Amino acid sequence: MSVLEIKSLTHSYTDGSPFINDAVSDVSFSVEKGEIIGIIGHTGSGKSTLVQHLNGLLKPTSGEILFESENIWQKPKEIRKIRSKVGLVFQYPEYQLFEETVFADIAFGPKNMGLSGDELTRQVEEICRLIGIKEEYYSKSPFDLSGGEKRRVAIAGVMAMKPEVIIFDEPTAGLDPKGREEITEIIKAYRESTGATVIIISHSMEDMAEIADKILVMNKGKLEMFDETDKVFSNGAHLKEIGLNVPTVTKVFEKLYDMGIDVEKDVFTVNKAVEILTELKGRDNNA
Amino acid sequence: MLKDITIGQYYEGKSLLHKSDPRMKIIWLIALIVLIFLAQNMYALGFAAISVIIAIVISRVPIKMYLKNMKTILPILLFTAVINLFYGEGEVLFSLFGKINITDGGIYRSVFMALRILLFIFISSVLTYTTTPNDLTDAIESLLSPLKFIGLKSAVHTLAMMMTITLRFIPTLIEEAEKIMNAQKARGADLESGGLTKRVKALIPILVPLLISAVRRSYELAAAMECRCYNGGEGKTRMKKMRLSLIDLFLSLACIIIGAGIITLNILL
Ligand SMILES: Nc1ncnc2c1ncn2[C@@H]1O[C@H](COP(=O)(O)OP(=O)(O)OP(=O)(O)O)[C@@H](O)[C@H]1O
Ligand SMILES: [Mg+2]
Repeated sequence: MSVLEIKSLTHSYTDGSPFINDAVSDVSFSVEKGEIIGIIGHTGSGKSTLVQHLNGLLKPTSGEILFESENIWQKPKEIRKIRSKVGLVFQYPEYQLFEETVFADIAFGPKNMGLSGDELTRQVEEICRLIGIKEEYYSKSPFDLSGGEKRRVAIAGVMAMKPEVIIFDEPTAGLDPKGREEITEIIKAYRESTGATVIIISHSMEDMAEIADKILVMNKGKLEMFDETDKVFSNGAHLKEIGLNVPTVTKVFEKLYDMGIDVEKDVFTVNKAVEILTELKGRDNNA
Repeated sequence: MLKDITIGQYYEGKSLLHKSDPRMKIIWLIALIVLIFLAQNMYALGFAAISVIIAIVISRVPIKMYLKNMKTILPILLFTAVINLFYGEGEVLFSLFGKINITDGGIYRSVFMALRILLFIFISSVLTYTTTPNDLTDAIESLLSPLKFIGLKSAVHTLAMMMTITLRFIPTLIEEAEKIMNAQKARGADLESGGLTKRVKALIPILVPLLISAVRRSYELAAAMECRCYNGGEGKTRMKKMRLSLIDLFLSLACIIIGAGIITLNILL
């Protein structure tokens, strides 16, 4: 069953001015339960605008968003309920920390949902354990943490609401390779333990190839492609046309192919590359 | 929403008012504000209103922009109008609850005061819409420059620099506040309902990050300015020199005519 359905979503930031293009224009797609969807697109292509509709932060200029087959704007008063079911982690989420302690900050979301007492403590502790925030951090001030640790706490703050769909807007922006890997691990851990549906916006084609089941490509507010990861990345020429690219390993294999070496062109992940190269080496040794 | 705050915004254009000297525009604004204050009867105020409308027309800024400003100050406007309604003398038109008398004088007064405030807002908007914040602060610095002779040299420059920075960062802060509001809403924060205490409390998750980010930005800005050898106006030259032109002379004449008109109408009627 589709957990989210987006039907001809259009959003324009200026009300009715004819000169400005819509930030998102006539986008339709649906997301199945448990999928990991990657969203890619040139800067300004409407990715952030699109995802802010999925939890009701922005209201469509026209079109509909269905969560579990129900229009989320059916009862505008209850839009806050949707926000606990569809979690959204903004870009640089560490700038939204405000509480005196790490624990209190992570508890902000679940508390807004009406949890309290033991239940609240349990849910916060569970998330901290899952994503590796140690107990000695609970009473620290979030402002005394390093950048990477702050980001982890901020992400925990959204995960603590136990959303069924969780969206990340460029979760690894501005982190070093190790930090990026850690965030990716956190996302995977959350998905494994809750079975949640995950949507990630990223500019890193490599990360997308590793993690996403399907990729949605945005171009100038329009949905350009929405397909399985392999299929999207095998359209390298098209991606380049709209200011995107394929993962670096794919480029290597395209080059090898062009040089006349007998390899597949469609290699998107490091693991696949290793597999093929090992096989190639085996062939060489036999010859 | 926060984005509707347009007071203090510049609107790109090429009108006479855009081209005229910002120092003169400030002087005219002060003069017109004083004149609007001096207007004692409806005729004088009506004359002032016509002048303001003409200024709006020659600014060639869409009237929509001015009306947007009005939305922001509507509460103040209504408040003034209602308060003044009760302070009139003259013929009682009708009574509320048998105690509060509404007089024709009260209604006159209420309309008069509301119109006066409206004119202040409109004429000030003409200045800010047609003058970039940078020009504005340069003009203020230039107008205040006589203070240098009484030993306030660095104070004048510092004041102008502070204004420039403040104006420059208002849109940035608004954008930042909006981002933080969205992030907290995504965590289920309820900013729209509840009583006064609940609403004030709901501001904490927004104000704390906003303040922290403002402080961080100011440190970064200070460092960046020092890296570019900022030393507080000493020996600073200007890229754009302000010069008086024929337009300024012409518009100054217009101001004098408006002034004469308002004063005459005050005395005659
Ligand atoms: N709050 C806003 N007000 C007005 N226009 C906006 C606002 N936010 C975004 N836009 C405009 O909408 C368009 C889409 O912006 P959006 O932030 O969704 O792009 P994006 O794909 O997320 O880009 P990036 O990769 O740089 O984050 C852009 O043209 C942008 O200028
Ligand atoms: Mg974005």
